Amino acid sequence: MQFISGIGDELHIENTLPHQLRRSILTKQEDIWMELFRKRNRSSQTIAEEFVQKVENEARSNLIRVYAPITLLVGMTIFFSIYDSHFFSLKNILNILQQMAVPLILATGLSFVLLIGRIDLSVEGVMGFVGSFMALLILNDRNANDFGFWGVLIPIAIGIFYGLITGILHVKLRIASFIITFATGTIIKGIAILLYDSRAARVQEQWMTDWSMMSFLGIPLITWIAVAFFLVCSIILNYTAFGRAVYAIGDNEAAARASGINVERVTVKAFVISSTAAALAGFVALIRLKFGQASLGDDQMFPCITALVIGGASLSGGRGGTLQTIVGILIYMELLNFLTIIGVDANYKKALQGIIIIVAVALTLSRGRKTIAK
Amino acid sequence: MSSEALFTTHDIGKVYGTNTVLQDINIRVWPGEIVGLIGENGAGKSTLLKIIAGVEEPSMGTMQMNGQNFRAGSMLNANESGIGMVFQEQSLINNLTVAQNIFLGREKQFSKGNFIIWSKMNAAARNVLNAMGLEDISEKAKVRDLSFAMRQMVEIAKVFDIVSAASNNHALILLDEPTTVLSDEEMVVLFDKIRQMKQRGNAIILISHRLQEVLEITDRIYVFKDGKLTAEVETQHADEAILYEKMVGRETNSEYFVSDRQTVPAQEAVLEVKDLSMFGSFKNVSFNLYKGEVLGLCGVEGSGKEDVCAVLCGDQAKTHGAIKVHQRKVDFKSPSDARDVGIISVPKNRREDGIIDILSLAENISVANYQKNAVYRLISNKNQRENAKHWVRSLGIRCSSVNQRIINLSGGNAQKVIFARVLDSECPILVLDHPTRGVDVGAKGDIYALIRSITEKGGSVLLMGDTLDESLGLSSRILVMKDGMICGEFDCPADNKPEQVDIVRLML
Repeated sequence: MQFISGIGDELHIENTLPHQLRRSILTKQEDIWMELFRKRNRSSQTIAEEFVQKVENEARSNLIRVYAPITLLVGMTIFFSIYDSHFFSLKNILNILQQMAVPLILATGLSFVLLIGRIDLSVEGVMGFVGSFMALLILNDRNANDFGFWGVLIPIAIGIFYGLITGILHVKLRIASFIITFATGTIIKGIAILLYDSRAARVQEQWMTDWSMMSFLGIPLITWIAVAFFLVCSIILNYTAFGRAVYAIGDNEAAARASGINVERVTVKAFVISSTAAALAGFVALIRLKFGQASLGDDQMFPCITALVIGGASLSGGRGGTLQTIVGILIYMELLNFLTIIGVDANYKKALQGIIIIVAVALTLSRGRKTIAK
Repeated sequence: MSSEALFTTHDIGKVYGTNTVLQDINIRVWPGEIVGLIGENGAGKSTLLKIIAGVEEPSMGTMQMNGQNFRAGSMLNANESGIGMVFQEQSLINNLTVAQNIFLGREKQFSKGNFIIWSKMNAAARNVLNAMGLEDISEKAKVRDLSFAMRQMVEIAKVFDIVSAASNNHALILLDEPTTVLSDEEMVVLFDKIRQMKQRGNAIILISHRLQEVLEITDRIYVFKDGKLTAEVETQHADEAILYEKMVGRETNSEYFVSDRQTVPAQEAVLEVKDLSMFGSFKNVSFNLYKGEVLGLCGVEGSGKEDVCAVLCGDQAKTHGAIKVHQRKVDFKSPSDARDVGIISVPKNRREDGIIDILSLAENISVANYQKNAVYRLISNKNQRENAKHWVRSLGIRCSSVNQRIINLSGGNAQKVIFARVLDSECPILVLDHPTRGVDVGAKGDIYALIRSITEKGGSVLLMGDTLDESLGLSSRILVMKDGMICGEFDCPADNKPEQVDIVRLML
């Protein structure tokens, strides 16, 4: 004990402590204890310096958040290619490109809604409606309709209009987006089933069969449609005032409003883009399957949300964008494809999707201590 | 200085419910003038600026800008009249670039068709930044990658650009504590910019807690106290001592604070805090809280006192240090853990953190301690009501019945319910965070008497008063915090309270 207190004398605590008033006279043992703590605490920094460092740390973790998904994608691709030579074959790459058409379209639309901190659960319903209604309007085995071009356009237009209604209901009635979109999605899916009276139509248009086989530069036509939609949306997001407003609302809705942004209008537009994507996805899905079932859209949305989150989008808004969307979709599609190649059971894949979404959200969400995210 | 005032207010007031936060404010600002507003926290300075900027509506009074009657209504309208405010909590969008932030909501001028020409916007942003002397900030950088000081400068540049476009150098810029996050060098730069704006004929109103700063840059100073304008001083005739004196004003009234019942604390420490730190907020905070003591924690906003309390009630995690309750080292991670070791708090924001508004008065009291009124682990409504009736009687809560929804009670009575809940939990240590905020005068007196009864019965209180007056009047001892550290300590026996001026001097 004596030895320890000797050390305490040499440390001259009073001189090294920050200018801080101490009332109680500390015992020597306490001196040593404090000195040890002080060293671990790096207390040469002032609070202002600590604060600056805190902000810098935040900026650094942001940087990691942006680059981690790209790194993951590259790493995954290399690993999968080495693990199984089939993976990087031309045939398999084309296969992935074909499979990613519908998810890419949906995810592109959903990314707008996610960026403003909302969610759109109605995309599956809209997709199913557009596909099944379209099958009834063009040449099919259920009725004598043959509206051709209009038969494609009208269902898509209705789908887009439905997004407008959903968006307006959301901002006017101020009902949380996950409730209102769940409700409107259910309604439109019900309408679809009623329309074909429980027996779905099989498409008999020759051009649709042709389209499904068509490819350009070896890449399937439907993939080109998806890429075109993705590019148009990227331009809207990155080169228009609307696109900036989407980011602004997602980051700080009150500040965006104070800057003169019409938050309601931008929100409705985001839902319209999402339903446009859903309608287009319904069309593309019909090209692939040629069977107009309302269940066309089933289980399509959550994989897209998963992919967006993996890519770095935030479920609470403000984070995400063009790059995050495409990277997320590629990671997700590659993973799914790889699991199929190595022969993993489909039900395991479903469970895995759930695990991925929990992990991805847990890693990216910034949580407050006071309340659990709702 | 021209003879025509740029901006005037006439009898501006603001009332929230029964609580008057601003009263009869008459100020006058001339073109090319820098005006400082000083006063304690809650004196009404920020509220006044928010009213001028159109964030809040005045409850009474009128304003004039350029000789015209002016009613902001919204921030956008204020901007169009040439009034712009830079907020304490920054309002930039972190995930956009500097240029996009400066022109947020005003992108049209750079559009061709529906598409923004980024090069055009960036060039314009470059000009705005250069005009402010901010050559080292890239217009293409994302705001989240900038330091806080840089963000502050960008925000000022943005606001200045918005209003100067509208006002032809007769703008009124409102700055709410612009320097809290700035280093000394950055402050020099900022002041330089402010003086340039002034030279061009613009007027600036500045709130600051740092008196030297206010003395350095302003032409005139308005002093606020308890929502009223108490003094106006020409800066050239002022020094720190004069300002301190004007800021504190009122003498502590010992009767008001029931000082004859102030206890002399026992020697037994119930709470020992040693080297408590939270990274980026406060550090090496050490103190003891004794049995039967009211310990006041004073400091301006941002001094770290709020976070010290947040750590002690389990809301925030400490990064370092030790807490002992009754000589036993404790470590807690949530308010419920804190309550289990004997620390419970009355939160500052009653509406958000205190009351559960869909529940009845009785349920609000027992919510922290359901088991106490349970029979075989099932809640007994009868016991709960009896318990509530006991508290209604002993605290003098005015209500129609204990089943009344708490949302229908007045602020003072709702606060008493929160006190009942806290006392019902029988914790020996209470953290009172602004216990009389938004409470009318009568209920204030009741709460002061209640705090006296608590310490008489051996409870200990850590107090953050709503005003310095209150902290001083109630406490047996006061700790002063500044920049995240304890910088002073005062004994406050009932018959010999320290001077407010001495405490304010340490705080600033």
